[in-house]
Amino acid sequence: MTTYLIRRVLQSILVVFISAVATYVLLSFAPGGPMAGLRQIQQSGRFQITEEDIARIRASFELDLNLWVRFSRWLVGMPRGPIVIGGQEYFADVVVGCRKPIEAEVLNSRGEYEILTVGCKESVLMKDLVGRRTSRGILLGDFGLSWRILRDRPVSDLIESRLSKTLQLIGLETILSLVIGIPLGIYSAVRQYSKFDYIFTTLAFMGSAMPSFFFGLLLILMFSILPKGAGLPYIPAGLSESVRDYTIPVIGDVVAGSVKDRTLHLILPVTVLTLINIAGWSRFIRASMLDVLRQDYVRTARAKGLGQTVVIMKHALRNALIPFITIVVFTIPGLFSGAIITESIFAWPGMGRLYILALGDYDYPVAMAIFFILAVLTVIATLLRDIIYTLVDPRIRLT
Amino acid sequence: MLRNRLFFVMGLLVIASMILTACGTPAPVATEAPAATEPAMTEAPAATEAPAEQASFTTPHPILGDLRVRQALSYCTNKADLIKSVYPLLTEEEQASLVMNTFIPRAHWAYAGDENVTVYEFDAAKGAALLDEAGWTLAEGADFRTNAAGEQLSLKFTTTSAAFRQTWAAIWEAQMAECGVQIIRLHAPASWWFGDTTGIARRDYELGAFAWVGQADPGGQTLYACDQIPLPENGWAGQNAMGWCNELASSNIKVANNTLIKDDRIAAYTIVQQEFTKDVPSIPLFNRTETFATSSDITGFAPAPGQEYYNYNVQEWAKTGSDTVIVGFTQEPASLFTLVEDAFVANIAYQIVRPAQETHLNYDFKATLVKELPTLENGGTTNNDVEVSAGTMVVDADGNVVELAAGVFVNNAAGERVEFTGDPVMMKQLVSRFEIIDGLTWEDGTAVSSADLELNKKISCDPESGATSFIVCEKTASTEFLADAVGYVQTWIPGVQDPLYFVPVWGLYPAHQVVADGRTLADVPAAEWATLPEVAEKPLSYGPYKLVEWVKGEKLVFAANENWVGGAPASPNLVIQIITPESAEGLLLSGEVDILDSTTLAGLSETLKAAADAGDIVTYVEAGGTWEHIDVQLFIR
Repeated sequence: MTTYLIRRVLQSILVVFISAVATYVLLSFAPGGPMAGLRQIQQSGRFQITEEDIARIRASFELDLNLWVRFSRWLVGMPRGPIVIGGQEYFADVVVGCRKPIEAEVLNSRGEYEILTVGCKESVLMKDLVGRRTSRGILLGDFGLSWRILRDRPVSDLIESRLSKTLQLIGLETILSLVIGIPLGIYSAVRQYSKFDYIFTTLAFMGSAMPSFFFGLLLILMFSILPKGAGLPYIPAGLSESVRDYTIPVIGDVVAGSVKDRTLHLILPVTVLTLINIAGWSRFIRASMLDVLRQDYVRTARAKGLGQTVVIMKHALRNALIPFITIVVFTIPGLFSGAIITESIFAWPGMGRLYILALGDYDYPVAMAIFFILAVLTVIATLLRDIIYTLVDPRIRLT
Repeated sequence: MLRNRLFFVMGLLVIASMILTACGTPAPVATEAPAATEPAMTEAPAATEAPAEQASFTTPHPILGDLRVRQALSYCTNKADLIKSVYPLLTEEEQASLVMNTFIPRAHWAYAGDENVTVYEFDAAKGAALLDEAGWTLAEGADFRTNAAGEQLSLKFTTTSAAFRQTWAAIWEAQMAECGVQIIRLHAPASWWFGDTTGIARRDYELGAFAWVGQADPGGQTLYACDQIPLPENGWAGQNAMGWCNELASSNIKVANNTLIKDDRIAAYTIVQQEFTKDVPSIPLFNRTETFATSSDITGFAPAPGQEYYNYNVQEWAKTGSDTVIVGFTQEPASLFTLVEDAFVANIAYQIVRPAQETHLNYDFKATLVKELPTLENGGTTNNDVEVSAGTMVVDADGNVVELAAGVFVNNAAGERVEFTGDPVMMKQLVSRFEIIDGLTWEDGTAVSSADLELNKKISCDPESGATSFIVCEKTASTEFLADAVGYVQTWIPGVQDPLYFVPVWGLYPAHQVVADGRTLADVPAAEWATLPEVAEKPLSYGPYKLVEWVKGEKLVFAANENWVGGAPASPNLVIQIITPESAEGLLLSGEVDILDSTTLAGLSETLKAAADAGDIVTYVEAGGTWEHIDVQLFIR
């Protein structure tokens, strides 16, 4: 077991490293980026941008450095300049990038003209890195500075500001989904083909098929806008808290920012996520339970005269839950990543929105930080799943 | 083991797909109009004549090189129906107000007037006749026209994949088909169409649609002048991608952009518009609307055409029965250091605490925080003749800041383009005096001073500040900050003849402000400003409101600035609430926000229209500065 764990941890580190390389390279080659549009501005007589301006802006985003240098500085904060040993500088004149590339238009093999970098007018040397701002590296928990969303301020501040909201939302939703979804799935399986089962199955299918954006808008209309317009009790349509105090019929006065206010704002987004999750998870449990209930050992347990509750809870459920472990452990990265669509519909200031913003605004340090943390959490969840499997299923042996 | 490998591969695939999915997210509409452009015009002679001395794009387009075809396309275009397709909820009167006849909005001071330009009212019969005349005839039973060689009249039409453009492009395709013109639509990704080295920038289209962003000053020198045609030979510089070169228009667009007398500018723009509509290098279609919506109990909200920042009168906004006005923003400002962060939302938020010194209501300029805009007419500006010699920094005849040396072409004091040979030459030099109004005070009670203006100049011109461009600094010969008043005398380098010379140049930074580490702001190096909370997150106010709190990702909270020179604002509090486009209308209707602006509302939706009709909200729809058009490629490579 120990050997297995050591091997898996090493493998996990490798997976995280490779995924970091892959995502960094993919983002580097993605269209757009912080320099997009500068050329148009450059052509405008009123707001002229010189070659020097462009070189300076490229340098501020480190786009004048070679990809491997950028990646290394992002990962471990190095290199920061020449290596100094005994007062002697080494590698000071090693070229690490190009400040002013020479571009040329060439006819490619497809008969199309394209702009290629054919040389470098002014190189960046290792010694030029001295004094440049850089993070300590993502491996040391320094995610660097935001390019766009929180311009020039730490990515960690940004993540910190959103994480608690996402944890509230996704944490509550996950707990409710588990508490409600598992019993529903069990009951439906045990009462297969009953009226409850038919109704439950139908609703579960609807829940699974219903897009969250539609469901969210429907709830806003039904429980917020329409009842409010009619003078009935209503639930706030969005945000995580109100700016102004307000009064809801029956519920009474609500102070903006109070626990009551925040709770009311949680209701609709949590409801959407919970109902959709319940639909999926309970169907999973139901299928798993039905599978187990047909097993010989369950029949044997019944033949031994054990009560229905014991058979279900002790013999069937424990085995039925084994595949469900996979689903549960993968809520861990979900707790971090948030729910993009639901957060958008309800203007919930969480990680899901941040993720979309980071990509849409070319804020690659933020996007990379999210990817990296997600990769780590996903790897941890996988490892955790495998370990839990060995604990709950004696048939599995890790070697 | 196999399971582990599979997981590894799956993990990579998931991550890759996440990135690719996100990269495929359609760009916001606002990004599809290239920013910072100057819709100004010049025209080219009979439009099929190749620009001289240019090796590429010298062959007239076999179809579009014919003026009659371009005119026919204009006559066959029913702009009213195009507008109706994208703004169906507007009244007919509102729809009609959006029609564009030239490259300048009809409400603009520089518009030539319908009577002075060729207006192509929808007339399919006239269009068909012109096509017949051009040799494109419609055979019995055929859908599309052909020429004598049997070639079909078929044109590739390129634009973005935005739903807005897909909608009107489909209508336009049908309109062209009615005239026997086949349109093959290509809805390309915005990243390609507006790319630095693709699409428009490489003149890779026959007919191409996009939008220009109009400004209070029409500008336009880079758009329609003969020397602004992008070609491989000039590194694709310039925005005249149509390849339109009309010497009369070209010279007048230069005049319009180098003349300081407004009447002379209007006359020059009139000529350019006449030539533009005569040659049809582009088919102007319609202004996009700017839509705002407020709760019905909001007062004082009054967006106006030409005024980019609609919160110019934020101190007049109020909500009946509440002490707080809430504005919904779908994009959070990245920073309030607007020298480096020039996003629209950042400027809107910034101007709540530091209002602009002038307004652009109805495309005209008016002083607000300066005593007057110093014009040549009121004597606030003088345009002196100065002698310049080698080594002097000047603006050359092409608008570039250069050190004067033999071989440089400049415009002399008489306005003639001359080559500098080493002998001194007389040039024009603008000198303007700006004075801040009396009583303007920072929120901490300190009166604004010339030192604040001086600090603004110092930081704005420091390469370490992170600013994008320093062209204003480079064009500045000197700035004398006044000791007897809050203001400065701005002296431009010889050759600067910017039509907007009267617009205030320098803003105000509180030189006296003490930052967290005990230094005064004036002592903080420019390189640190972008990360300084006192600059980026909580700038000191001299406006109607001061910024009290900024909860990242959620809201910016403002309170009345008791030291505001204009007195107490109508609403004691103002909040910018960060929302999402998906939630915006619901939040307005449910009362969580009070105002939605044009960056949030792409148009008037049925929901908003119904709510407005019911009296729950008030909507404001007006012709914005951004206008749709179809450019015609006059030459092929």
